[in-house]
Amino acid sequence: MLKTLKTTGTAMGLIFAAGAAFAAPNCGANTGEAATGTPIKVGGIHGNAAPGDFSSSTAAAEAYFDCVNANGGINGRPIEYLVENDQWNPELASQAASKLVVDEDVVALVGNGSFVEMSVNSGFYKDQNVMTMAAACAASECFESSNIVSTNQGPLPSSIGAAMYMVEEKGAQNVSCIALTIPNSGPWSCGAAVEYMESKGLSGTGVYLNPASPDVNSGLLEAIASGADTIIVNLPAGLGIAVLKAAEEQGLGDAYQWASSTPLYDRDVPAALGDYWDGKLFVSAEMTPWDKGGEDATNWLAVMDAYGEEKDPRDSFSQAGFLSAKIFVDTLLGMDPADLDDRAKVTDAITAISGYESDLVCGPFYVGEADRHMPNHAGTMVVVKDGGFETVRDCFEYDSPYFAPIFEQEVALGLR
Amino acid sequence: MRSTTNTIWAVFGLALILVLPAFAGGQWIKIFTSTTTFAMAAAGAGFLYTRLGMVSLVQVGLMGVGGWVTLRLNHAFNFPFEINLMVAGAVTMFLGNLIALPALRMRGLYLALITLMFAAGLDIVFTAKQFPNGAAGFWGVGTTFAADMRRPLLAQSDAAYLRYTMVWLVIGFVLIELHRRMAPGRAWALIRKSEAAALASGVNVTLYKTWAFGLSGLLAGLGGGLLAGSLGLLDSATFRASESVMLFALVIVGGARFWYGAVIAAVLFRVVPGLLNNWGVDADLSLVIFGAALLHAVMTAPDGLAGQINGAVRALIPGGKTAETKSDKKGAKA
Repeated sequence: MLKTLKTTGTAMGLIFAAGAAFAAPNCGANTGEAATGTPIKVGGIHGNAAPGDFSSSTAAAEAYFDCVNANGGINGRPIEYLVENDQWNPELASQAASKLVVDEDVVALVGNGSFVEMSVNSGFYKDQNVMTMAAACAASECFESSNIVSTNQGPLPSSIGAAMYMVEEKGAQNVSCIALTIPNSGPWSCGAAVEYMESKGLSGTGVYLNPASPDVNSGLLEAIASGADTIIVNLPAGLGIAVLKAAEEQGLGDAYQWASSTPLYDRDVPAALGDYWDGKLFVSAEMTPWDKGGEDATNWLAVMDAYGEEKDPRDSFSQAGFLSAKIFVDTLLGMDPADLDDRAKVTDAITAISGYESDLVCGPFYVGEADRHMPNHAGTMVVVKDGGFETVRDCFEYDSPYFAPIFEQEVALGLR
Repeated sequence: MRSTTNTIWAVFGLALILVLPAFAGGQWIKIFTSTTTFAMAAAGAGFLYTRLGMVSLVQVGLMGVGGWVTLRLNHAFNFPFEINLMVAGAVTMFLGNLIALPALRMRGLYLALITLMFAAGLDIVFTAKQFPNGAAGFWGVGTTFAADMRRPLLAQSDAAYLRYTMVWLVIGFVLIELHRRMAPGRAWALIRKSEAAALASGVNVTLYKTWAFGLSGLLAGLGGGLLAGSLGLLDSATFRASESVMLFALVIVGGARFWYGAVIAAVLFRVVPGLLNNWGVDADLSLVIFGAALLHAVMTAPDGLAGQINGAVRALIPGGKTAETKSDKKGAKA
């Protein structure tokens, strides 16, 4: 009898556990019926080639769109999501944008993630009056142009956040920031972190690696030679791990304090880093931690499990891709169905987004008509702990003059 | 006979300039524009190889210099695009001369190695210094938003710009052809046969060799400047030393003896990866295709694909079956 009860109990427990782990995804109109109408074309561009794979954001957007298409689509019309890879090459980035916007006539681009694409195409998007709701932006043009808005923060706020936490909580005096030598990505973001240090009367340096042949050891040595006590790794996940592995081999883990921008907030990173980095590496996460248990965070994991692939990363960029896609779908659902094929009307609808709340970001998401967009500029600090991440500082705003014009926009929109 | 073939090609080229930009899609217009700019560099490498037997492995690197100068001038001054382009061409022509000077004593493999080292040097400078994007200072590299690239007044749209680039390519081909028909061409022919004989005949070998390198550099620089105009900003990844080697290999595959060999080389260089990308196949597969094509060219088609096309065209035109055609056909069959 007891045994039967135990078995039943275990079975029930397993069912509940499974239920929690595989919560049913909730997408779009959530009708449970597949959309069959004329597809709405939406584009997405990611960069996947050496030295980094930025396809996580488009993979998450695709998973969400698949889920929406299986649940009524946009008023019965499915989204046809066309994804291109810029391979970190300006020529290919320009070709990809022309293909999607001119040849395929997409109504918008969603989930873009790249170091290159936005720099080449920001003017083109403006000329074509098409909005790009990016999700893994890593170049200045993402945040300083009229027709691109991203749900992620980009390397500049992310590394300022890391520097700020290390100064305020860990007493960092001299920070060295390691990034790629792409001017409007690495020097742009690490330069801002160095400016932050200098504004506090402290010192900082930027160390830049050649993306074509990144030499992590010499980068590490250059960072150490700068006299830094804290090193901020501001690189794509694969390269970031390589830097930390090289530091581990040289036994530098305890001699310096370590922080990173958001790419290392990836579910697989703690395991890849190993026990050595337990409690040592602080990561500035651009999106809120996935274990916070918010509605969107839970839904994101459920959608990825049901519609994504096992190999798709579960990282900040995946969260951001999901959120971009979700905001986009909610925007389309709020439009007059007759206007869905009209790019100008879709652009207007995206521009009109204001005060969109989600538990995946610390503040409201908005677009508005402006020459720059950076709605997400408050983040969370986590530390690598017990094979996962532990939050050490919840949602906090970054301290830099860079954000002054953004705050002004928020005041104008009544969000601040 | 020769003029008939040339007329056919001229009509075909003109039709292409008119039709291609009008009917190609947005992505293909971009691909064809890149192709055309690389065809200019390929034409330079091809003519240097056929006329003087000299191998230049720095063409794509010189394109980078041309692109750098064009961007730099665009962001520094308010000159029209053509002026920037001409200055870029002049700079790369001078650089071409400069490379030629120490290279004059070298031949064959050693000359090729010197040009390759030069390309590697440019590669390092491009990676370290990047391309100007509108900031202040000599290098002009800023970390924030890139400034606009002004396009020629006549070619604001992508389609018009493709046409504009194609016209420049034609000018490049005409320039090479004019050289071939005039004094430099005769001097080069003599130098190629025997430098001693050329010297004995009173040909200034130094002058004409540097001249050839300068012309080849000019074409590469114009190509690079046109590429900069198409994209608005450039990246060091486009101008690696390995790309110069690849372009030269494709010039051999395309056929260095014929002007359209350069077009074939550029089509292989840019259109094949574009097609593979469109088919969802990894574009790196093109490297395998290029390798196979190079083997084919080296083993069976000494005049490359252009030689085989030329043979086929001659065979089609009645009365055109000369001895040369027969040998070409033999090559085509094998």
